[in-house]
Formats: sequence, C-alpha cells, structure tokens
Amino acid sequence: MSYALLIDIDKCDGCGGGDEYECQKACQKLHGLPLVKVEKLTATNYTFSENVAEGIYVRRMCQHCEEPTCVSVCPVGAMEKTVAGPVIYHSDRCLGCRYCVMACPFNVPKYEWSSTSPRVRKCTMCYEERTSKGQPTACADACQAEATVFGERDDLIASALKRLNEDKGYVQKIYGMKEAGGTGVLYISKVPFEKLGFVTTLGYEPLPRKTWNVLSKLPDVVSIGGVMLAGIWWMTKRRDEVKAYEDAQKKK
Amino acid sequence: MKQFSLPKITFWRVLGILLIAAGIYSAVYRFVYGLGAATNLSDDVPWGLWIGFDVLSGVGLAGGGFVLCAIVYLFNIQRFKPIVRPAVLTAFLGYIFVNCALILDLGKPLHIWHAMVMWNPHSVLFEVAWCVMLYTTVLALEFSPVVLEKFKFTGLLKVVKAITLPLVLVGVLLSTLHQSSLGSLFLIVPNKLHPFWYSPMLPVFFFLSALAVGAGMTIVESFLSARAFQRALETPLLRELARLMVVVLLVYATAKILDFGHRGVLSMVFNGSLAATLLWIELGLFIVVPVIILSIPRLARNQVGLFVGAVSVVLGFVMNRLNVSVTGMEASLRTGYFPSLMELSITAGLVALGFWIFALAVKYFPVFAEPHDAAAVQIPPALTSTAAPNGIINWPLLLRGSHFAEHRARIEAPYRCSATGLSSPTAQDYEEMIRVTEQMKAVLKQISAQISARDYLNTEARLDQFAAKVRSRIAIHTPKATPTAPAASLAAN
Repeated sequence: MSYALLIDIDKCDGCGGGDEYECQKACQKLHGLPLVKVEKLTATNYTFSENVAEGIYVRRMCQHCEEPTCVSVCPVGAMEKTVAGPVIYHSDRCLGCRYCVMACPFNVPKYEWSSTSPRVRKCTMCYEERTSKGQPTACADACQAEATVFGERDDLIASALKRLNEDKGYVQKIYGMKEAGGTGVLYISKVPFEKLGFVTTLGYEPLPRKTWNVLSKLPDVVSIGGVMLAGIWWMTKRRDEVKAYEDAQKKK
Repeated sequence: MKQFSLPKITFWRVLGILLIAAGIYSAVYRFVYGLGAATNLSDDVPWGLWIGFDVLSGVGLAGGGFVLCAIVYLFNIQRFKPIVRPAVLTAFLGYIFVNCALILDLGKPLHIWHAMVMWNPHSVLFEVAWCVMLYTTVLALEFSPVVLEKFKFTGLLKVVKAITLPLVLVGVLLSTLHQSSLGSLFLIVPNKLHPFWYSPMLPVFFFLSALAVGAGMTIVESFLSARAFQRALETPLLRELARLMVVVLLVYATAKILDFGHRGVLSMVFNGSLAATLLWIELGLFIVVPVIILSIPRLARNQVGLFVGAVSVVLGFVMNRLNVSVTGMEASLRTGYFPSLMELSITAGLVALGFWIFALAVKYFPVFAEPHDAAAVQIPPALTSTAAPNGIINWPLLLRGSHFAEHRARIEAPYRCSATGLSSPTAQDYEEMIRVTEQMKAVLKQISAQISARDYLNTEARLDQFAAKVRSRIAIHTPKATPTAPAASLAAN
C-alpha cells in the first residue's frame, strides 16, 4: 500500500497555456519557491507541464520509483523510499557527491550549484507537509482538469485500467506500472509514449539490480581471492626455501 | 665552511610554484563562492574533470603500488624490489591527490566522514569510499618503513615489517575491489552512457586497465625519477614490466572486441561519429601504439621506445576514464562540457604538489634504497657509512666503509681528473681499476663472516659487473669517458 499519482495526459491542457501551471504554482507556494512560471526542473522548481506537441502537455516531476535508483546509489542513504511511497531527501546526511543527479534515469534531481552548502532538490510528493498525514499532494489538489489524481497505487492502477478499457482511444498501457520496476507516478495517454519524450528503453528491471548483481558477489570474490593470493605466496615462498636448501646442499 | 646556496631556479620549479599558487587561489574561490561559480558543472553534467580525471584516473594511475607489491611480496619475484618503494610512494601520493580532489568536488566536504557511520551497502560509491579509505591507510603503512628507517624507530619498524605480508594481501584485495568498482559505478546508467563505454563488463575492463596502467605508470615514474634525481634506470626490470603490460593490454583488447560483438556495437565503431572518433583515439593510445612499439624488439629495447609506449598507455587510460565518466555521458556530449579554468588550475596545482612532495620525499628519505631484509644480520657500523658518499660513484652500502676508503679513492681518481677537464681515464687507468676491484673482493672475503650471505654475494656480483664493464671499455676505448657508464653497474639501485 503506497501513495501514487495518476497523470492523464489527455486531460492536461497546460492550464490553457496561460501565465502559470496550477500544479506548479501550488507546489511553489507550499515549498516557498519563487512564484514564477518555469519550463524545466531546476533547484527551485520541482514540476512543470511540458508542451511536447500542439495542445499536448506532459507533467514532469520525480517519478517516485518503487525501487528508486537514487536511493540505491546514495552512499550515505540521503535518499529514502518511505513506506508511504514518496521518495524523500535528507540534506543532513548528504555529502554532495551528486551520484543521484548522475544516475537518475529520468534526470530528476537538481543541485543547488550556487550555494556554499548545496542540497539536492526534487519533488517529495509533499511528504512532510501533506502525504505523511494522509492528505493529497498540493498539485493533485490544485489541478482543475483532474489530470493529476492522488491515491493508493493499486487503486489508481485499477481506475486507470478501467479508463483504458472504456476508452480505446487511449494507448493500452500505463507508463510507470512496470517501467524500471514500477514508479509511483503513472501516466496514461492517447498519444504513444515514445512521441512524448518518455524513456522507453528502460525495461522492467529496476536499475539498482544492475549494481547489486556485482556488489552481492564481492564477499565471495574477496574470500576466494584472498585464499588464492595467500596460496600463491605460500607456493613461491616454498619454492625459494627449497632452492636455498638445495644450494646449501650443493655447497657442501 | 658551509656554503649557503639558493635552490636552482629551473623552468619546472617556476611552473610548479605558479600552478600550486593558482590552485590555491581557485580552491579558496571554490569554497567561498561555491561549485557553481568555480566550475562548469551543471545538472546536465554533475561529474566533470575532478571526477573523471582527479578521482577516476588518479586512482588508476596510483595502481602501480598494488601491482608491484603483489609481484614482490606475493609472487616473490625479488628482483623487482628496487622499484617497490617508489611505486608505493607514487601510489600513496596518488591517493592523497584523489582525497584532496574529493574534498574540493563534494558539495558538502565537511560531511565526508558520513560514509563511515551512515551506511548504504547497496551503493557502489559506498563500497568505493570504504575501500579507498582503507587502502590509503594500507599505503601509508606500506610506505612507513621508509620514514621509520630514516628516524631509526627500529621497534615500530619491526612491527610494520611483521605485518607486511597481510598488509600487501589486503592491499591487493582492496585495490581489486575498488579499481573494478569505479567501473561498476556506471552500470546504473545504461540509458545515459554511450554503448561504446557502457557494458556489463565495466568492472572487468576497469580492473584490467588499472593493471596495465599500474605497470605503465611505474615505468613513467622510473624514467622521470632517473632524469630528475640523476639515477641509473633499472631498464631490465622496466622491460619486464612493459611485457606484462602488453599481455594485459592484449587480454583487455580481446575482451573488449568480444564485448562489442556480443552487444552488437561493432559496426557502430566505423560510423565516423564523434563518439567513434573518441573511441579510436582512446584505443589507439591505450592499446595499439604501445603494443606495436613494445612488440618490435628494436623499439622495445630502446629506452625512448619504452618511455613513449608507457606514456601512451597512461594517456589512453586517462582518456578512457574521461570517456566513461564525462564525454560518453549523453548529456555531456549534448551540452558540450569543458572544464573551467578553476577546475583545470586546481587539478594542475594538485599534480604539481604531488610531484614536489615526491621530490622532497626522495631527497630526505631512503625511497630508492632497497628495503632491508629483516632476516639479514645487521651490518656492523664499521663496515658501512651512513654519510652520503661525496664521491662520483654511488657505492653499494657495503663498500662505503672505512675498509674500502683507499680503494674507492683509487678507482674514482681518474674520473675526478676527467671531470675537471684534465685527462680522461686511459687504458692503464682502467687496468688499475680492475686490479683494485680484485683487491676489494679480497677484503670483502676477509670480512665475509660479519655480513649476510646475500649482501656478500650481491656486492661481489656488483664488483664483477663493474670489472666486466671496465674490461669492455678497454676494448672499445673512447676519448670521452663518462663516469656513469661502468659505474652505473656498481650504483646501488
């Protein structure tokens, strides 16, 4: 049971292409960010709706993956996948290595480069302020078109499947249901996802498995390697000892 | 009367000071104004020169330490002992360089200790951090005998000597782990790293290339040291290292070609893209040029060929690390990242500092002395002199004592004359030298009871080599005699 967001791309019209995205404004208000319309993710803007084609807008934000890459790569555990679902950031742990910025397959985390004590910034699904208390996210509340809906992941998947079934105009796929092991932000669309700038080459395996496959074998490598090296030392030392003994014998 | 003389002003010294000064300025700027102001890093390119070169290449280039330690202490190939210490020093300074670069690159360097108490064992970077921490400690301990010998802390020295073997073993294991894990860091970005460099075999490639460049960097360091400190070059040893390097490079090349084939990117190699060009340059420098140079006997025997081959491996290696971490990442290619002047000056300053500290260490510590065998009997003081020989020849330890003072003087006399420009050693001088050498061997035999068999045999062998070289000089007598020619065989490595 974890919280998620369902984004219906067909329903989003970028708030009519006006002065602001309602979802973005609500997010900026809640987090004390500058109230200005921004067309990309930055250290001071955690979401926007990208105008990928005529009349088509796609919400961009942290995908709150089920098995997040950022959580796996952080050496000190500054990124955390909460039980409730949102992926949050602990700046007091962070040492600023920026591996999460480098690794995220969706290029979400942004860095406060101009600060002397920089933090990683991204959407937290309003965890501290709202979702940890069971309230929906600011953006879901603010969306007039009901393009962004907040709820339990399983419920949202069920309702999305229902909608896909009722209206065959939709691409018969929920993006995020299985991609990279599944994400907490799900998308449905009437336009194929490849045309909307979605990463379609990710596969269904969570990326952290790729490094865990290697890391999990290391204790074995160390043990076997240690025995092997010690054995080589023993053999070569023995060879020297034998030779020295034979030389001494010859001298006699 | 002791003369006070100013250090010589050379081009390299001036350059070094300028680079260090510029580096200090840039470092202060970075801490006062932040990473954004001092670097060209961005959200698109979060890892740049400092990670690609300072950290990734730095760790690789410092790989000579574990390679040489494994060869000497685990594989027991004793003849490489003379070059273990400088290799360990290079490695130690290399890891200090990496740690300094990390302090500058991290957004919150004051939190660097967090990895010690906040653990995420699922993170490759966590494992790298721990291995680097532990291995830097191992290197410090492996290098400590040099310092302990100088200050004659014999008690501590014995302790360190006793743990050399487990230390080397742990060091080799740690090195294997983190050299390969630096490659594993990039396993997690299959969609962002160009297929030329992304591969499930990344950890294996990183490890093999670290082995190769460890040997290569040892060769380069030996050449630079020989030149800078006027020492003889241990060419036969370096040639063997070069051969090991070639074998590792060929294994690497085979694995790489097979990997390209399995992943279906072989055809892309010829498509003339920017990435393909970068790949060709990288593989050309790293594999093709060195293998060709070092496989042709005439070139491999030539000292210049040896050096150029090793330098090529080092350059190709650096290029590989940069390609994997910076230029191969699609966002970096797209946005055209190039390091800022401050990034460059900090890197250059750290490198200059490393060279300077290396030179200081060589000057004041027995870096180029062979590690004394703990099992050997302590050489009685009457037979040795710890005062630096002010003669022309760098005599082996055993021949520096008062027993041989007269012999040394008689052998060096003709060279002193030629140094002051009077006359160069004649055939008669050479014959006298051979006679004196025989006398030295006799004296050596007389005191043989007081020294270890190994020291006796080594010194006797050196005297024989010297005599042989002198005999060949008589045969091909040249007008200009250089002291370094036959005397080099006597010089303690």
